[in-house]
Amino acid sequence: MARKRAELDRRTVLKGAAAGAAATIFAPNIVAAQNKVVRIGMPTILSGRVAQLGTSSRNAVIMEVEKINAAGGLAGRQIEMVIRDSKGQPQEAARVSRELVNSDGCEILLDAEASSGSFAVQEVAKDLGVLVMHTNSETSSLTADPKIRIPLAFRSCRQGIHDAVVSGAYAAEIAKAKKINRWGTCSPDYAYGRDNTQLFVEYLKHFYPQAEVTTEAWPKLFQPDYTEVITRVLQNKPQALYSALWGGDLTSWVDQASIYALFSQMEVFAINMADYTVLTAVKNLPKGIHSATRYIKTYPATKQNAAWGDEYRARFKEYPTNWSWENWVGIHFIAEAAKKANSADGKKIAEAMRGLKIDCPFGADGTVTMRADDQTVIGYAIGWGPTISQEPYVPEVKGASWDTILQLEAEWKKRNNYT
Amino acid sequence: MLSTRPNLARDISIAAVALIVLLLLPYVWPSRMMNDLVIRVSAFALFATSLNLLVGYTGMVSFGHGMFFGFGAYAFGLSMQRLGVSIPTAILITIVSSALLGLVVGAISIRLKDIYFSFITLAFQMLLYSTVIAWVPLTGGDQGLMGGIPRPPFLGIDLSIESHRYAFAVTIMVVGLLILRQIVESPFGYTLRMIRDNTERATFLGINVFRAKLTAFVIAGVFGSLGGMVMALFVSGAYPEFVNWTMSGEGIFMIMLGGLSTFIGPAAGALILSLLNDVITRGTEHHGLFLGAVILLFALGLRKGVTDFIADWFRTRREASTRSGN
Repeated sequence: MARKRAELDRRTVLKGAAAGAAATIFAPNIVAAQNKVVRIGMPTILSGRVAQLGTSSRNAVIMEVEKINAAGGLAGRQIEMVIRDSKGQPQEAARVSRELVNSDGCEILLDAEASSGSFAVQEVAKDLGVLVMHTNSETSSLTADPKIRIPLAFRSCRQGIHDAVVSGAYAAEIAKAKKINRWGTCSPDYAYGRDNTQLFVEYLKHFYPQAEVTTEAWPKLFQPDYTEVITRVLQNKPQALYSALWGGDLTSWVDQASIYALFSQMEVFAINMADYTVLTAVKNLPKGIHSATRYIKTYPATKQNAAWGDEYRARFKEYPTNWSWENWVGIHFIAEAAKKANSADGKKIAEAMRGLKIDCPFGADGTVTMRADDQTVIGYAIGWGPTISQEPYVPEVKGASWDTILQLEAEWKKRNNYT
Repeated sequence: MLSTRPNLARDISIAAVALIVLLLLPYVWPSRMMNDLVIRVSAFALFATSLNLLVGYTGMVSFGHGMFFGFGAYAFGLSMQRLGVSIPTAILITIVSSALLGLVVGAISIRLKDIYFSFITLAFQMLLYSTVIAWVPLTGGDQGLMGGIPRPPFLGIDLSIESHRYAFAVTIMVVGLLILRQIVESPFGYTLRMIRDNTERATFLGINVFRAKLTAFVIAGVFGSLGGMVMALFVSGAYPEFVNWTMSGEGIFMIMLGGLSTFIGPAAGALILSLLNDVITRGTEHHGLFLGAVILLFALGLRKGVTDFIADWFRTRREASTRSGN
């Protein structure tokens, strides 16, 4: 008899545990249905080597959503952000995105993933028919290639082809002035590093045909020791060196190359240098490394940009990153489009967003536009300049001409059969 | 030969019931999240069970089984994207090509024993991973296969429809596991166990150990790649992470969590690991810490998988009732 009672108890416990687990896992559906807020799902990278970028994306969005909510939210509905870690894995980004929509009741996705994750999120958005704003993926084909593009997907960040045109034009101008014909490259050995470098060289030659690449080095991603690539570059003695290294890799490379006095022997163009995470992490930042602006609060040199950089720093005790401003643009485009459409419905927001121009602290002329034909942002501030080791880090930025960018981008699209 | 096995009818009945239950589940408990979970677990269950054919039944601890998972995803995705073939043809291409891969890798690897075997399989996996990363025009490099995998309808099945995709995934999983079950319960399966327990004895009994191990390796590779194919269908893409060594590690974790002494253990481990991952990721950014702690608990504390405990409990109960009956 005692044994029978024990069995019943065990079953009761098991049933209770199963019900509890089910409630934990599937309850958000019910909660979502009862809420009147509009939930925006945000998959991003919150763990691992590039977690700082994901965290800075989250910070920017949290800061802006508070302001948007205070101003009435999305057409009267308060925004509730549901932010999840994708660990930087595309399949996890896909899973998390599906979960955000299917289980957490998110009506919009703010995709703060790196490129590979963003393609996975794009497929989820296509499958589930939800509005998605890609805020960090710089891979141009995401919105340029009509085979990949979908009506409900937008991009609020810089992209590779724009960077390449600006980089090529800036480097060519210096090459002309200083008669720099022999170039070297040193970029990470994966798709971004190779694509970025190949496009840079293409546009460098477009603006300065005498340029010739005499040495190439392709260190592995997250390589700890760059001695071999640094000495190879030094042996080949190019007059200038271009690098698409980024983050911790760039920091390590600069520190190690300084020991070999590389920076006094050639002009160095490191596209990802001018971001506070790198600028503040390098131990002895050599003067005169040329970099494109990623995020610095002094460019564009406006009160709005400086105020935003200071506000972010005061709140989070660190500077914003390149991903921070791109997420600002993403969430504000959604908010402005919802205002224009007077609706929080994803399809109506998408319709209102095509061709929309908004005021923006990071715009070249104080505004940015969501280009209608490929649903990607244009008009953001982008420039190059030599860096120094303290604030303002890039004292003289040469801004890019958007007319040139758009003209060469159109030609690039045609060459790639995108138009 | 298989038809003479007394438990065949029982296995088919269990598989049929499992399939019916899984197919009815979305109607009883409509939840897209549940559907997603079941599809992912289907992919991982095939992957982990096929790995257990090597680890648990043959004693070959492969550290590179993720190579088949990733290869299956890429082979299927590329067949659909580049060749524009029908889904059944793409499945056939996936099966044949992964069998060939298994044959080549297996023929080299199984000549080595113990840790050397483990490491050479890992080396092959990293070779494939590097190829995927470097061969950008074909594989998309670190960004994976972009633009989605086309899913044209076939035989009235349209995998772009969620319910069809769900039914397709669970059917592949149940049929796959049933076939694997028949393999491990066949004389060939017992040959593998003998090789695991005493290779010399198997050799003296006239068994061609190399051929048996190679066959097991190829079979495991094919079913592992089917798991990758189901995952590729789910995420509509293929990514280098599928081929990375971490995928092999997850396979080992699934076996450890679920238990390697029962046939269903790895599939149960796939479910547990997926649930743990989903719940922990939802609750904290320090998921690695929590997941690691759970795995440590199983590895060091319990030293058995969940289904091992259940099997032991049933065994003890049966023995107790036999004793009391006497």
